[in-house]
Amino acid sequence: MIRRILAIAVKELLQLRRDWRTAGALLGMPVVLLLIYGFALSFDVTDIRLGVVDLSRTSASRRVIESFLESGYFVRAATLDDIRAVDGLLAKEAIQAALVIPEDFADNAAALQPTALLFVLDGADSQTANTILGYARQIVAATTPEILDVEIRPPVEAVPLVWYNPDLKSSIFLVPGLLAFILMVSSVIATALAVVREKERGTMESLRSTPVRALELLLGKTLPYLLVGSVSAAGTLFLAWALFEVPVRGSLFWLAVVTLLFLAGGLGWGIFISTLAESQQVAFQLGIISSMLPTLLLSGFIFPISSMPRALQIISTIVPARYFIAALRAIVLKGVGPEMWWHDVVALIIYGALVLLAATARMMRSL
Amino acid sequence: MRAAVGASQEATREVVVSASELSRTFGDFVAVDQVSFAVARGEIFGFLGSNGAGKTTTIRMLCGLLSPTSGKGTVAGFDIATEAPAIKTRIGYMSQKFSLYTDLTVDENLRFWAGTYRVWGNEFARRRDWALNVTGLESRQRALVADLPGGYRQRLALSCALLHEPPVVFLDEPTGGVDPEARRDFWDLIDDLSEGGTTVFVTTHSMDEAERCHRVALMHAGRLLALDTIPRLKKVFPEGSVLEIECADAARALERIEDLPEVVDVALFGDRLRAVLRSADDAQTLESGLRSAGCGPLTVRATAPSLEDVFIHYIRQAGSKAPP
Amino acid sequence: MGIRTVVGFVLKELIQLRRDPKIVSILFIAPIVQLTILGYAATTDVRQIELVVCDLDHSAASRLVVDAFTASTYFHLVGSVAVQDDLDPWLESGRARVAVTIPEKFAADLEAGRTGRVQVVADGSDAMVGTLGLAYAHGVLQAAAEEEGARTPIDLRPKVLYNPDLISRYFMVPAVLALLIMIMTMMLSSMALVRESELGTMEQLLVTPLKPAEVLTGKLVPYAMVGTVEFLTALQVVLFWFKVPLRGSFGVLAVMTALFMACSLGLGLLVSTLSRTQQQAMMISTFVFLMPQIYLSGFIFPIQNMPRIFQIATYAVPLRYYATALRGIFLKGIGFDVLWPQALALLVLATIIFTVARLRYRRRLG
Repeated sequence: MIRRILAIAVKELLQLRRDWRTAGALLGMPVVLLLIYGFALSFDVTDIRLGVVDLSRTSASRRVIESFLESGYFVRAATLDDIRAVDGLLAKEAIQAALVIPEDFADNAAALQPTALLFVLDGADSQTANTILGYARQIVAATTPEILDVEIRPPVEAVPLVWYNPDLKSSIFLVPGLLAFILMVSSVIATALAVVREKERGTMESLRSTPVRALELLLGKTLPYLLVGSVSAAGTLFLAWALFEVPVRGSLFWLAVVTLLFLAGGLGWGIFISTLAESQQVAFQLGIISSMLPTLLLSGFIFPISSMPRALQIISTIVPARYFIAALRAIVLKGVGPEMWWHDVVALIIYGALVLLAATARMMRSL
Repeated sequence: MRAAVGASQEATREVVVSASELSRTFGDFVAVDQVSFAVARGEIFGFLGSNGAGKTTTIRMLCGLLSPTSGKGTVAGFDIATEAPAIKTRIGYMSQKFSLYTDLTVDENLRFWAGTYRVWGNEFARRRDWALNVTGLESRQRALVADLPGGYRQRLALSCALLHEPPVVFLDEPTGGVDPEARRDFWDLIDDLSEGGTTVFVTTHSMDEAERCHRVALMHAGRLLALDTIPRLKKVFPEGSVLEIECADAARALERIEDLPEVVDVALFGDRLRAVLRSADDAQTLESGLRSAGCGPLTVRATAPSLEDVFIHYIRQAGSKAPP
Repeated sequence: MGIRTVVGFVLKELIQLRRDPKIVSILFIAPIVQLTILGYAATTDVRQIELVVCDLDHSAASRLVVDAFTASTYFHLVGSVAVQDDLDPWLESGRARVAVTIPEKFAADLEAGRTGRVQVVADGSDAMVGTLGLAYAHGVLQAAAEEEGARTPIDLRPKVLYNPDLISRYFMVPAVLALLIMIMTMMLSSMALVRESELGTMEQLLVTPLKPAEVLTGKLVPYAMVGTVEFLTALQVVLFWFKVPLRGSFGVLAVMTALFMACSLGLGLLVSTLSRTQQQAMMISTFVFLMPQIYLSGFIFPIQNMPRIFQIATYAVPLRYYATALRGIFLKGIGFDVLWPQALALLVLATIIFTVARLRYRRRLG
């Protein structure tokens, strides 16, 4: 049995080697993609275009404006005299927010009377809006003592501490998720066409006449891509560590184990799809639909699963990237041992086994 | 080796397809090597050779699918290198794979391919009726091509190539994988076309099929080894120099005679030998030689040379004259 | 270019599409299902962050703080510990993402007029939760303080336009719609030419008098039709299921969508001229065109924070312009007077893409 599996694996590997475009894409693209996105992507918002409506025109109001600009988050994009002009600029996205300082600002501040600053936000992109609002609040809180020239002691203060990622660098957060996304999509695509190609070319017939069994065919087809995927994953992780300072605080061994399990699951899913589809076109579409968006949106890569409606949390249990990302973050960023994340590993194993079983069952019908 | 282009009778008819030192290379590999010929109107012109001999490449160049590396060619009066679009409206083409859309019905295929040649409306109706009649698919208009047996697909593919009544039709190995009866029906169709004035340019690797052509060009390793009508091609062997020998121990007889100087070639066919002699005069000596060697009882009979004999003869000749 | 010829071609493609049994479900049912599910998933309203508390003071004041956190919808109290060290496993295992410790002298400090310091630890491995967790914690404490009578002298009062409750769904659902349209149309068209060459009919097409423009148009029109039907169907889900308001005009939406679809189809066509096999078509379209667009469109990751090189690169991303248009049309109700640069950009991109595809589509095999 092993020999037959190896025979199929070798054939697939040879075919892959000759198809240098596909091989190159499988090996190289994850690395390239990670490079690009690791450098380009973050959630931090800077250079926020701020519109300023200063109706007070006092040194106090100017101090407030300066504090916004000094913070490094905001840039002055427009100076307006009339609050009504704000709407138009926001609609065009010429500005993202507007700070409106009322006429009586300086007088109220001097008299220690409560006074309000109006901050108009473009709420269309709510995530960015939230972030911008957060920054603005921080800035005002920090500037208040200066303006009022009084020592204000907040009654309660939060002393923040961030574990694992003290500077809250997006890249550290994103890279494990990016890796999961890229690996999942590429492994599904790689194998989704594998079996269907045989069907379309008619070589399935000749396979049927050999003593090869369904499971052997499956494993034989998966192995080469597992090899290629591992090489590519290793390269990507290395780059993540070298270029983006993503620390690897945990054990490399467990990292490798978890990655292999995840790859196997993704490849298995791809093979399963290829047993369902009759044409390569359909296999492709099924593959993309089932891997790309779910992995992007339901795995915890960007949007936290705990914030999702219950129904979706349940659906996310069948997205393998969810477990991979959780385990990856735990191993790489937290550096904790398997006792903390063993359930993710178990989930990955179960997923892989189920998918392989399903694929075998379907293939037995056609062999 | 260059061969004479043809007898005077053919030369008076209009030349519909011509090639002059046509060549095509792919990198270092020479696929077609300075091939020249002229095909007359209404001729069934066969391009005979094994796979890789350069037949498909030549046809592709003539159809405007591939540009020649050197040399010239014309089809229906237009230059293949510079006037390809004009050629395309005047030719029909059928490839080895009988390119039909298997997920479309007979009728849908006919309609589509007619449309690509701008055959619509009444003209289409007329041609469609012709196609259905000639292919025998009148009752199967709505059948999916995928459900049709090979013979029907073949005829359908041919008729799709003829919907616009082109003066020239190129068929590249059109009878692959089709049963003998279907093949014969197909060739009857080709005969009809030729009688109607359509020029048919066929490539094949089957010697039997080539026998049905008016003239045959022998292609080997990209070169044109010989070009003539079949009777004249066979005249390369003097009368009576091809023998068929039946004897009890054919294998032993083979051993006995294969190294003899008067024997050019000999091959074993089951329990018979087929021998090509240098001259018919040697037949007697050969026969007595075999009898005295104790290979009797045996029958020695002069037989007509086959195209295969001719082909092998020319290949051998080309090989011995291989360029430096 | 013969219209009648192209029509014949389009009909053939449509017949083939219709005959494929799985196509209908993939092209129409799947996007709707996906849109529905993912529309709910793509929420960035982070709520119910798992919280663990350690109250070392056990005073009325500290209990007030704990109650404030418990009552907040931002947090979900999953546990409380007696000793500060016991917090560690909660964070390590991921069972809690934020840990709040109220120190021993908390109430005493407040009484004495000193600032009561509450320690908030956030799990930074998920930076979004980390940042927001800290921000929310700060907010909860502020609110609690205010309730007890402390006043903030300078109050930053936010006024949020277009989406006052900051319902992220309003933005993300159209975003998922755009992603789906892009994926579906590109997938279809990237297989367009490759399939013909794999089947062997490509050669036959090349030998006919069909002009390259006729073949390309004949291939794309059916896919454009399919894409349009998909878009209209999915739009129903966006408008009536998710109740995203459409404040702009449908006409503007239609035009922008048509332009965007043209770009997607063109990209798919370009891919099919670059690929020899269907697997290659898949690879190239996914890695080179789909994934980058998702990342660089500004939908999820803000463009303005990208390094300059990438910002420039995003000008070539059709999805970027479509994203801006969608945001504006749905929530801000803007029209062409504001969106004309985006429309123009899409038009230019589509033209470039189709030109390149056409050049690559060679009439001869050699």
